[in-house]
Parts: sequence; C-alpha cells; structure tokens
Amino acid sequence: MESSGNEFLRGTLKTIVLKLLSEHGRMYGYEITQSVKERTQGEVTLTFGALYPVLHKLEQEGFLVTESVEVDGRLRKYYSLTPRGSETAVQKVSEFERFVEVMRTLLQPPPSLASVSR
Amino acid sequence: MTKLTPQQLAKVQGHLLRNGSGDALLSELVDHLACEIEHYVWIGLPFESALDKVLMDANAIAVRHLSETYRCELTLSDEQLQQASLDDIVFEFRNKAYGAYDLRQAYRRNLGNALMMGLGMVLLLMSLMNGIGTKNWSYLSTTGLMWITGLLGVTLALGRWFHQHVQDKYRTAE
Repeated sequence: MESSGNEFLRGTLKTIVLKLLSEHGRMYGYEITQSVKERTQGEVTLTFGALYPVLHKLEQEGFLVTESVEVDGRLRKYYSLTPRGSETAVQKVSEFERFVEVMRTLLQPPPSLASVSR
Repeated sequence: MTKLTPQQLAKVQGHLLRNGSGDALLSELVDHLACEIEHYVWIGLPFESALDKVLMDANAIAVRHLSETYRCELTLSDEQLQQASLDDIVFEFRNKAYGAYDLRQAYRRNLGNALMMGLGMVLLLMSLMNGIGTKNWSYLSTTGLMWITGLLGVTLALGRWFHQHVQDKYRTAE
C-alpha cells in the first residue's frame, strides 16, 4: 500500500498501537513498527514521523505509561497500557471492526443493481 | 547482532539535532534510528552505508514533518491550559523525564524544608552556645524554648523530606 494506504492509516493508527500493546504488554517504538511490518508482510510500514506523535498523544491522554531503560548505551522508552488504556483498546478495536463491516457493505454493489447489470 | 558504539550513537544524535529534532523526542529517535542501522548492519551492510541510508530517510524534511505533527497533536487544549501550571507550559514540548521538570516541581517544597531546617539549626546552635556560656540549663527559660523550637523545626523538616522521598520512590515503582 502506498500513499493512499497512508491516508486510511492515519485515522486507525491509535487503534493499531493500542491493540498491539494489549497483545504484547510492553513495547518500544521500533518494535511496534517492526511488528506491524511483519504482521502485514510489509504492506503497512509505519514511519517514525507518524508513530511517535501518536504514542506521546496517547500517553498525554492517560492511556499509556512509559518506562525508560538503558539498553546498549542508549535510552529505550517502553510503552504499556494503563487500565483505562486497556478498556479503550477493546472499545476502539470493536468500533473499528464495525466500521470495516459497514465499509464492506457499502463497497459491495447492492443486489438489485448487480442483477440488472447482468 | 553488533551494537553501535557511543561514537556512532553520537553521530546519529548530532544528525538529528542538526535537522531540528525537539528534545522531547530526541532520545527516542536516537534509539529508533540506531535499531534501524543495526538491522541493516546485521543483514550485511557496512556501518557507513547503513548510517547513510538511515540518515537519508530521516532527513531534514522528515524530521521537520515529525516536529510539526507532534506540535499539532500535543498542543495543550484550552481546557488543559486552564489547569496547567507555568511548569506544564514551559515543558510542553520538552523532555520531562530529563529531570529539570521534577526539580522545578519540587522546588517550593524543598525551599520550605531547607528554610525550616536552617532556622531550626540556628536556634539549636544559639541555645547550645548560650547554655554553655551561662553554664546552667532549664527547659523553661528562653534558651530552653529556643532549643525545643529548633529541635521541632529540624525534626519536622527531616520528617517531611523523608516522607516525600518515600512517596517518590513509591510513585516511580508504580
């Protein structure tokens, strides 16, 4: 997915991040980008420019807590969900699934039209 | 997997600073880019080419775009501004974890404690010297009262300091 994919991605980034953190517990930025890349077989690549603002925003909103650990001589910042964050993760994922369902029905041609064209 | 040396990390950090990365994101970006470089080195590129490739992707445009998105996303809302202290506003886009934010937050409290302790110690010293000078001691004299007040002051300051210390420890452990 190229630039058009990014356009759709922007609104769902929070959901993706919350969902990944609810599965993995504790992750740092690069790990999140790699995890997204692996699971979509390279279809979706998160750039650091898109990821970090979202992470910090979620932290500011109280959904994430951070923890800095020194690894290989540099500071690595790990993110994990707060209880409120876990609730939001569940809620956002189900909302998004509903949205995908609605989109799918919207994109399918209505049955009457399909029969007319045939 | 080979790890980057401090000199190589300094190179990455220098590049980010030259391209205008804000300090709220700096240490995180250094780690991010270092991970990418290590990945390229691991799949066989020499360090210099890996560095060039990663730094080319993280060029001035990308870093500026990041800073702008960051500002848009994280500017305090009007509601938050109502409750924000001066420190919150000063540190809005800065690295709070670095330590200066905590120092500022604790400043008034520390100043109060230090003042109380200082005054208490002066009172103790004065009454002690008076006691030695006149060679008699009674808790009911002015000197005695000074001693008791001084002792109370120092104890209270120490108690508050200790209490705060324990609280801080508990908070970070949370």
